Amino acid sequence: MKSYLSVSCAVAATVVSVGLMTAGASAAEYPFKPIELIVPYAAGGGTDLVARAFADAAKKHLPQSIGVVNKTGGAGAVGLSEIMAARPDGYKIGVGTVEITMLPHMGVARFSVDDFTPIARLNAEPSAITVNADAPWKTVEEFLAHAKANPGKIRIGNSGTGAIWHLAAEALQDKAGVKFNHIPYDGANPAVTALLGNHIEAVTVSPAEVVNHVSAGKLRILAVMADKRATNFPDVPTLKEKNIDLAVYTWRGIVVPKKTPQNVVDTLRLAAKNTADEQAFRDSLAKMNLTHAYADGPEFRAVMEKDNAFFKDLMTKLGMAK
Amino acid sequence: MYELDMLLKGFQTLLSQPFALLLSVVGVAVGIVIGALPGLTATMGVAILLPFTFGMDPLSGLLMICGVFFGGIYGGSVTAILLKIPGTPAAAATAMDGFELTKKGQAGIALGTATFSSFLGGTFSVLVLIFLAPVLASFALEFSASESFALAVFGLSIIASIAGKSVIKGLIAGFLGLLIATIGLDPMGGFPRFTGGYTELFSVPFIPVMIGLFAAAEAFKAMEDPAVRNGAAAMLSRIIPPWSTFRRILGTVVRSSGLGTVIGMIPGAGADIAAFVAYNEAKRFSKTPENYGKGELAAVAACESGANGCTGGALLTMLTLGIPGDAVTAVMLGALTLQGLQPGPLLFREHADLVFTLFAGMLVCYVLMLVIGLSSLRVMGRILQMPKSVLTPVILALCIVGTYAINNSMFDIAIMLAAGVVGYFMQKWDFPASPVVLALIMGPMAEANFRRALSLSNGSYDFLYNRPITAILLIIAGFTLLFPLVRGFMRRSKAAKGATRDAALAPNPAGGAE
Repeated sequence: MKSYLSVSCAVAATVVSVGLMTAGASAAEYPFKPIELIVPYAAGGGTDLVARAFADAAKKHLPQSIGVVNKTGGAGAVGLSEIMAARPDGYKIGVGTVEITMLPHMGVARFSVDDFTPIARLNAEPSAITVNADAPWKTVEEFLAHAKANPGKIRIGNSGTGAIWHLAAEALQDKAGVKFNHIPYDGANPAVTALLGNHIEAVTVSPAEVVNHVSAGKLRILAVMADKRATNFPDVPTLKEKNIDLAVYTWRGIVVPKKTPQNVVDTLRLAAKNTADEQAFRDSLAKMNLTHAYADGPEFRAVMEKDNAFFKDLMTKLGMAK
Repeated sequence: MYELDMLLKGFQTLLSQPFALLLSVVGVAVGIVIGALPGLTATMGVAILLPFTFGMDPLSGLLMICGVFFGGIYGGSVTAILLKIPGTPAAAATAMDGFELTKKGQAGIALGTATFSSFLGGTFSVLVLIFLAPVLASFALEFSASESFALAVFGLSIIASIAGKSVIKGLIAGFLGLLIATIGLDPMGGFPRFTGGYTELFSVPFIPVMIGLFAAAEAFKAMEDPAVRNGAAAMLSRIIPPWSTFRRILGTVVRSSGLGTVIGMIPGAGADIAAFVAYNEAKRFSKTPENYGKGELAAVAACESGANGCTGGALLTMLTLGIPGDAVTAVMLGALTLQGLQPGPLLFREHADLVFTLFAGMLVCYVLMLVIGLSSLRVMGRILQMPKSVLTPVILALCIVGTYAINNSMFDIAIMLAAGVVGYFMQKWDFPASPVVLALIMGPMAEANFRRALSLSNGSYDFLYNRPITAILLIIAGFTLLFPLVRGFMRRSKAAKGATRDAALAPNPAGGAE
């Protein structure tokens, strides 16, 4: 009985104090309660791991903790819609991925790139042309020459139609004036498996997704679709060096809904910058073979807008846009 | 024997690491609970625990994850047998005969058999992983889209053998499942089909449908008569099966473990497929196939050893090639990478000590699973003694929480409840639920891989007959489909000799035998 009384006292006290806190919310510094970080992909995947590493490292730079919530489905559309529709108070933020600039053009999303305010980009991975180590092509020129001579014969595996690595292969086909046979798989991993089994000729997934097999001597990266060479693979040329002006990246960063107040955005930007600089965060990314690619809000916005225009153009050309 | 030497050394190292052993106990226990709860699968359990392993040394972290993996696959069987709530898709196969045994008052022995079979299947597959990994590794790479398609067709043909009393009703249920499976993003074109504009329907909401069809439907049915207790049937008299019974099912266990291990190695095929295939093959080789579906102990043994046999197979390709054999190992691949271990051929060369200590730990995990499982069965069996007026709401609450947990989505709960209502009427009218689940697993796999195979061959249908594995699997599938027909024909001609027997058989398919 006595314990029951003390429990109810404690409950009453908590209710009152929570009430007071909410009353003082407008005056109090952001953030005064834990922040929810929406991840539009499943737990355990690359995006999820980046988000969790970020949430973990952000503890030192924010007075409140960040909790990761996975909202999966619709190739990311479900989670991204949820971020867009969240109350713009900074307590529900999200991990934005390159799909923000792709899904709207396919007519499967209720948001567009303008519905988000970018906070910071944390990671970016280029597309890479990878072939089996037994394949006859040693350089990207040989590969493209063969593709040109045999239109539609080279089978390129991707992580799903309309997904980033499919569009990378389409863009390459467009720029290099060749014709591939695109084979969609249920994610990057099955595509790499098919390449290992010699069922397809190449994949266009990121270097991080093939690094194990490359170091084991089973696969060979011919080129990366990046602005500069990857630090893990200094010997692999970029397409730009080969006079093909193409760079396709997938990226992951923190975004908030459009109408989020400026002071909240500024607080988050500062915290994200300090977190991204944190050695623990860099180490976590490095362990996952992911590239640390911090970009502040405005710079991140420029990337988003550039990609948005690029994919809109490409998807219209491919007849995928709606 | 290099492997044996290394394994013994692994055991030695393991003994000097009490923390790792403790964590494997934790992992197995957590895994069993997660597996038993509807909605929470082994995949999710591993994903949830993954962040906790970031700060641990590789051995402890990986052993905990392995524990969750093994326990999660096994845990599904407990609720499947006791309450007809498959905690995991694999346990949907176990539920078919397991729950019938519970109704007959043999819950104890069914649970005991499930535990032993899981242990044996799992241990067998880990031993294969340890001793045969390099030999078998390349097998997984032989599997291209056409082989996966043939495997899925074979899987679909199993509907004929799990249809229960009426093949027609089983087929209707199977086609319902196939229809549901067409909802979602087109696997090749990427455009939405039958989604009604809901982004939530982009991927087939498979687990909510399964929970609804089995667990919620069962709960709705229990509401008809809330006062009833399970009474005498609830007593768990004996858990460890007598040796004479066990010897009878040993052959089934060995065959199913082998099948499970092979299926585990195939990319994209996991414990769910293994359990159904093991069931089918057990029935095919059984001397009393008519008992399947009515409470056959060997069926429970087959499903469980098949499902757990998958674990070693899936780990085999993941560790040796860096190719995840199923969804769980795909998440585990991330865990390994995070620990600075790159799965692939180099892993065994560069980290041989760690790998073999891990193998030793996996064997320990399975022993732990056996011990924890057997010792907790009596407590878990108590569930049956709860009055239904308490149990039913608890089951429904668990269904809702479990469904929400998959995607944090209210939409899924609506799907689950709708499936529950459908499942309730299916039960009333004697339509089996497992063909729906099987079609949901196999349908998308068959469709995507058929179209992918066509794409790979540039539109030629040659892959159907000029690839040996594909052709063999398709032949087995045809055989499986026709087998019940042939058997029915033979039985009929036999029955024609004795007209009285014919009369006794005839009313059986029509009337519900509840």
